[in-house]
Order: sequence, then C-alpha cells, then structure tokens
Amino acid sequence: MTDPNAPRVFRLRSTFIERDRLAMLSHLEVAHALERTVRRAGLPFAVSQGFSPHMKIAFGAALPVGVGSTCEIFDLQLREYVPAGKALAALQQASVPDLMVQDCRYIENSAPAASVAFPFSTYEVRFDEPVCSVVVPDQITVVRKRKEKTLDVAEFLAEPFALEGDRATFTLEAKPTGSLRPDVLLQHCDIAANVISVTRIAQRAEL
Amino acid sequence: MVPFKSIWSHVAPLVAHAERPSRYINHEWGCVYKPDADFRFCMIYPDTYELGQANQALRILVNAVNARPGMSAERGFLPAPEMCDALRQAGLPMFSIESCAPLAAFDAIGITLPHELAATNVLEAIDLGGVPIRALDRAEDDPIVVGGGPCAYNPEPYAPFFDAINIGEGEESLPEGLEVIRQMRREGAARRDIWRALARLDGWYVPALYRWHTPEEAQAAGSWIEPLEEGLPTTIVKRLFDGFAESPAWEPCIVPFAEAVHDRLNVEVLRGCARGCRFCQAGMMYRPVRERSADNVVDSVVQGLAETGYDEVSLTSLSTTDHSQIAEILERLNKRYEGTGVRISIPSQRLDSFGARMADLVAGQKKGGLTFAPEAGTQRLRDVINKNVTEDDLFGAVDAAFAAGWRRCKLYFMIGLPTETDEDVKGIARLVQQVYDHAKAIVPKEQKGSIQISASVALFVPKAHTPFQWDGQIPPEEALRRVNLLRHSVKYRAVSVSWHDPKTSFVEAVMSRSGREAADLVEAAWRRGARFDAWSECFLEDAWRTSAEELGIDVQAVAQTSYPTDYVMPWEHISCGADRRWLAREHDKAVLEQTTPDCTFGRCSACGVCMKLGADNQLAGDRND
Repeated sequence: MTDPNAPRVFRLRSTFIERDRLAMLSHLEVAHALERTVRRAGLPFAVSQGFSPHMKIAFGAALPVGVGSTCEIFDLQLREYVPAGKALAALQQASVPDLMVQDCRYIENSAPAASVAFPFSTYEVRFDEPVCSVVVPDQITVVRKRKEKTLDVAEFLAEPFALEGDRATFTLEAKPTGSLRPDVLLQHCDIAANVISVTRIAQRAEL
Repeated sequence: MVPFKSIWSHVAPLVAHAERPSRYINHEWGCVYKPDADFRFCMIYPDTYELGQANQALRILVNAVNARPGMSAERGFLPAPEMCDALRQAGLPMFSIESCAPLAAFDAIGITLPHELAATNVLEAIDLGGVPIRALDRAEDDPIVVGGGPCAYNPEPYAPFFDAINIGEGEESLPEGLEVIRQMRREGAARRDIWRALARLDGWYVPALYRWHTPEEAQAAGSWIEPLEEGLPTTIVKRLFDGFAESPAWEPCIVPFAEAVHDRLNVEVLRGCARGCRFCQAGMMYRPVRERSADNVVDSVVQGLAETGYDEVSLTSLSTTDHSQIAEILERLNKRYEGTGVRISIPSQRLDSFGARMADLVAGQKKGGLTFAPEAGTQRLRDVINKNVTEDDLFGAVDAAFAAGWRRCKLYFMIGLPTETDEDVKGIARLVQQVYDHAKAIVPKEQKGSIQISASVALFVPKAHTPFQWDGQIPPEEALRRVNLLRHSVKYRAVSVSWHDPKTSFVEAVMSRSGREAADLVEAAWRRGARFDAWSECFLEDAWRTSAEELGIDVQAVAQTSYPTDYVMPWEHISCGADRRWLAREHDKAVLEQTTPDCTFGRCSACGVCMKLGADNQLAGDRND
C-alpha cells in the first residue's frame, strides 16, 4: 500500500566489506557506523517523519561478532537521485578501509528487504594448517533466550564443506524460524586444525 | 627498554573473548597514526574506552601533540576489569590503541585526573603498562609519566606516582613539556635532569624536587613544600590557553564504533564561569571567561557534523546559556538543520526564564526532562553559597518551561553546605512544592497527572581552591538525618526526593583535601585490590578503610575538619590564579550572607585571576542579564 502523495524516494543498495579487526564489531555498532558514513558522504538521505526523525536505512542479515565479510548489504532511501557511481565515490571517501563500501546500485522500491532477500550465505574458513576432513555433527544444541534448542544441521547446511588446503567453504540457509551461526557450526565440527578466520563471501537469493 | 612494536597478535585472542571487543580494536574514523614519529607519547584516560573516548581533554591534547612534527600521540584506556586480569594472566601489558604497543615502550605517558575516584586506576594503568608506579623507582629508560586535569589542582595525593604534573590548560604547555623531554632524551639526559628542566617550565610541578613539610613546618612557612634545590618555583601557577576564544571550536575528533558516553559532536562554546558559586571548583579553575564567537561556533558545528557524520551536537561549557550570543547561535543552527534529524543540545540551562527559552529553542517536539540547580532551599543559604538566583528566577524558569510543553523537571540540591540549618533543609521541601504548584497552575487540567517534579540531593564535598575549601563535611549520620528531615517535610506525593548515599564520599574527601601522605593510602588500597572506585559494583570500601587504619590516617578528620581561613591548606603552592585572600574574603562574606556579582555581567570582583595571569574576560558581545 503506497501513499500516492508520498514523495518519491530512490532506493540505493550498497555492499560493503567488513574485515580484519572490524569483524569484531557487533551488528549494532556496524549499523551506527554506516549511518555516520552516509552522513559524512553528504548523500540526500530520506528522513522518517514523526516524533524522533531518523535516517531511512535498512541492513542485511546480521553477521556474528568475529565473522568478517566481503558482501554485506545496506539499503538507503534517497530523496534525490544521485548517479550510483557518484554515490559510491562519496561513500568510499567517508569509509574506513576495513569497513569499505564496494558497490552501489538502485533497486526497485518494491524489492524485498536485504535482511530477507538472501537466505543463502557462503562462508570461507581459514585454518592454521591444511585440513583433510571436517566431521559435521547431525545435531547442535544452542541456547537462545535461556532456552535450549536443538538444531538439525542438515536443515541449515545447504552446501557441504568444500576443502582446499588450509581453506574450506560451506553454505548455510537462514530459515524464517531461525538459523545456525557459522561460528557455532565450526565449534561443533571435528576439525584437526584451529580456525584463524571466518568470512562471509556470498549472500544469495537461491542456490 | 621495551621495544616499540604491536602486541596485537598476542592480544587478539583475548579481545575476541572480551566483553566489548570494540574497546580495543582501533581503526575508528578520524584516528591519527604517525608510525614514523621520533617521539612517542601515549595519552591515557584512567577508565574504560567508552568513558575516556568522550573526554575532551584527551581529544584536545592528542590533537595538540600530533600537530607537532615528529611527535605522535596515541590513546590509551584502562581495559575493563576482567580484561586487566586476562592481560596479567597472559603476561601481557596495557597497550596503546593506535599501535597496540606496550605503555612501557613510549617516551612519555600522560594521564588525565578527571575526578577524585580515579586514583587507584592511575596505579592500575601504570603498573599494567609495565612501568614502576613511583617516579623514584623508574629507571632511566622508563617513560616519563606526566599528569594533569582537574584533580591536579590538589596534586599531592598523586604526587609520588608522577614525574611531573601539568597545572591548568594543556593545549600549549603539554607539547612544550614534551618537547623538553624529547630534546633531553635525544641528548641522553638523566631522568633527574629532565625533572629539573620541566620544573622550570611555567605550569609544571615536579613533586620529587620538593620536600613535604610536617604540619607544623607548613603552618609556620606558609607552604607545605620546600624546594630541594636552588632555582625552583615555590608556587606553580596554572597555564592558560590564551588563544582559546579565537581558536576554532571544531576540534577534530574520533568517531567511535563502541557506544561511548556523550557519543555526539561536542563543541566547546566558551570556557570559564564567573558566577562565583562558593562551593564550585570548576568556577574557580577555568577563569577567566572566554567566549568563542557565534560565527566560530556555527561554522565549527557545520564542519564538525559534516566531518564526523554525527546527528547530534552538544554546545558544551560550564554555562552555555550565559554565552552572550547564545540566542543567535541556536537560531542559526535551528534554521540550518531543520528537517534533517540533527539534534542540538545544551548540557545545562541557566536558572531563569531566559534559560528555559533557550532550552525550548533546541528541544523541538521532543521534550524530555529539564534540569535546574538551585542548590539550596532558602534565599539565605543561596546567598551564602553565592548562587545568585532568586525564587522568582526559578519560578520564571518553571513557568516558561511548563508553558513550552515540558512536564518533567528535576532540581538539584546540596545538603551539608556551610551554615546550613534545619530551616534550610525544610526550605528545599517548600521550594520543590512551590515549583509543583507553579507547574500545576500552567499545565492544562487534563495533563496534570503527567507533571513530575523531583529533587536530587547530593552531599557537599569541600574542594580545593574554593572559598569553602576550609569547611569540613558533615558526618554521614548527620547527612542521613538531614535527608530524612527533608523527606518528611515533602508532603506532595507527586514530588520525589532522591538521595544516593555515597559510600565513596570519604575517598573523595581524602583525595580532595589531603596532602602527600594520602599517596601511601592510594597505593595501599590499590595493593588490596581497589580499582574502578567510581563503579559502585567494583568499589572495595574495606580496602580503603583497612589501609587508612594501617597507615594511621583518620579519614573522618580529613573529611570533617573545618579550619580558620589563615590555615595553610596542602595545595597552597598551586595557584589557579584566584588570590587566597580573595578566597578567604569570599568565605567570610558567605558567613555574613553577602553575595558577590558575576564580573561578566557586572563589575570586577577582584578575584585576582586576570592580574595574576595577565589575561581578561573575552566576551563575544554583551551578556544578557
């Protein structure tokens, strides 16, 4: 239901990386940092009406603390059209190197929110030495809101571990009912090496 | 010497498991990194990142040192308690933020002393940094440890822990002092020679070069210190940053990832306050009054918001609504930022209808609570403390505020002020009830239920360099009696009285009023585990009390003794510019219930600051009385 009298907005989708030490930021800290990046970039962002006006910005699926990424997403509503290349240049000028915007493009106003549009996330793990096998458990018990919950790994592991030397990739699917964190999965796998880093390398709508 | 290199690879696994990793990871927007500097300084705030990152002194001084070619300034914050323990357990030192280098690897370390409850954290930081806590125990290649900040105005309880202490505003004097250290280190000078050179710089105090007198010697000599060598100053006068008013109000700042306190753009619009409240140390310390012009402030806000991306700016000072151009500043900023979601705030408002109007200018639709500080409940006692505010001023402010839409108002009071009687305590109750009556008369009938008036009551702590420095604190039992008297005197159910029983107040009094002997107490308490004394969940009262008993320090006497005004206090050798005779005269006028006007509105009150410092009030226009 769109208000025909509402002012036109332009929905800009940006992807950014989150690497090295900044992988330790929380989702909320990243969100704050990006809002400030947008302000520094001087983009004509839309502001919500009402008691406590705020920037119209939305973020993709949260990344666990400690997991880096090459493909995080935020959507920003602009009051005026700014060529995507120009917006990208302004955002990059306003970003710190390890939380750097990589790409900007416009999407339909009706497109699904970034937080639900890409349920499949592929992660790359780096180990401290080459690995020849990863034994994945059938079930993992996690504690959520002080309640224990048992997750069937097969339900979430959309693509199995692919090993290559001291690296591995795997894909997890986020379900509307919940999801399995990549770091939690790794903690429960039997691996004869230590994890050095975990990075989300792709977010996809379908496999 | 400890090598200057990053220990991040060792620290990282601990940070990954720390409560808030973002306290330790650096790489924020706006941080300055000068790896090629030949002189390295680490500026420390003796508490965690989220408190220290907001600190104005840290921001200003890091910028001032980094502005010097070849000098770098990094930030240091005391890790949270469990991280301090984790580092010790892993055999790792406290580190700087930018280079993640051990404190001991720096040429010099600066620690700001922001309040009376940070002393044990100073020791925790120095020790965890791998540096001997006492200046006399430091080796030639250990860093030179310098201090400064508000508590440096009574430096003695900290004296043995610092090589040198900078009194007053550090914008110019800190880089000057560091330049001396840099030159002399380059020439291979001994630590003691560096002390001698620093002691001869204006505004620098080197405690180890002075003998501490016995009480009898001090009273006879008129000073507690005696130079151990020829040519040392016997009074250390504070440094003033003369260029404050003309310097840009935009102070480049770091935008933290971690949620810090006051996490917004802070623009210092003026420095100093000459209202002359007789209990207030800040009002004595930061004189004379210096205003930055409206153009300077507005341009700085515009630039600061653009460069940081903040959506809130606070116009900071001791009394922002006293600025002669405050209405113009707020109107210009309002116009500029209308509809952008940018919020403008002022930390406190002056207690009259003008103050309330200024608050209304920035509040927009969102009106939370408004805070006023009458400090005392009767005109008699307000005259004693020189709070030049009448009931009419207060009611004018309240009328204006509630007419503008505010529904909550908090009033700050002190109990235990010199000459206070039960009538004054009951006066607080009467005054807050009258405030409620005023609010009720203004607010539409159907909204009367939403009126909230609260009184927050704090215990008077005598502070160095104030007219009340000679006055003792009332005993804790008496404080409790007066609070109960106040509570019983408040008859309105819509008025609430809050009183936070300060378990730490004896520590504050000791740090505020003691001489050099208190340093042993600080060290003993720290060795018993005291740290983060300002965090109520961490405060170890026993560590302090047992240490005081062991050292024979009567903390009750330190807090509660009143002295005649000819008594020489332990900070007599430190000067904030205000003449001790003026302080004594203000004390005597207090007893006579006579007030002294603010010299930025009226005539000079002869406090002596301008004469002593060769300075003047610098106002951007005529102040609006």
